[in-house]
Amino acid sequence: MIHCDILDVKKEKINISKAQKFIASSKCGASLFFMGTVRNENNNKKVTGITYDSHDGMVKKSFQEIYEESKKKFKFETITIFVEHAKGYVALGEVSVLIAVACKHRKEVYEVSRFVIEEIKKRTPIWKKEHYEGKETEWLKGNPVVNQ
Amino acid sequence: MKITVELYGASRDFSSESFIEINLVNNSKIKDLRKELIKFIDNHHAGNENFRELVKAAAFCSDKNEIIHDDYVISKEQKIAIIPPIGGG
Repeated sequence: MIHCDILDVKKEKINISKAQKFIASSKCGASLFFMGTVRNENNNKKVTGITYDSHDGMVKKSFQEIYEESKKKFKFETITIFVEHAKGYVALGEVSVLIAVACKHRKEVYEVSRFVIEEIKKRTPIWKKEHYEGKETEWLKGNPVVNQ
Repeated sequence: MKITVELYGASRDFSSESFIEINLVNNSKIKDLRKELIKFIDNHHAGNENFRELVKAAAFCSDKNEIIHDDYVISKEQKIAIIPPIGGG
């Protein structure tokens, strides 16, 4: 089971209690929550916020694909994933991505959660424009999409 | 035929709009679109080297949310998204 979305932060913020409700199940003995937040420094520059841009259709499709691949790869009895990524301006310390995973055992949630975030980094079309002190901005250099 | 190229990430700096329009001959391929985009950069951004490199490194996406390769034939007027190198999370 998966819930995935890209949230326009002007309309809605990422909310951990929504994730808790979605993954809650008496079949699962382990839940893990991973949050990516905006850090105050990158490449020796003081970061004040990040604007996230996304190709929404491809993002949702890639989240679904990552979920399907996690089922095939790990073959765990139960995998429930909640993933939401922010779109728009996210200020320092705020949440940019939330991945919540529930499985039967603790070893499983660590493996699945790590797999999901690493795959998002590799293939999900989301871009970051960092904002620095002094109003300077810069699009971060990313990696070409893996299935190019 | 007229192709609408939707801009994402760093390619948004190519235009004040969220897209640019490129004229291509019928049955052009993605690699032809890439060449035309580089011409666009040369004409509108004085050959900005970062923009040129971005176009060379980018993937392209169809209106069906599928990555389309350099030999994909563009058979009709359509929207195609440019997908610069990615890095969310």
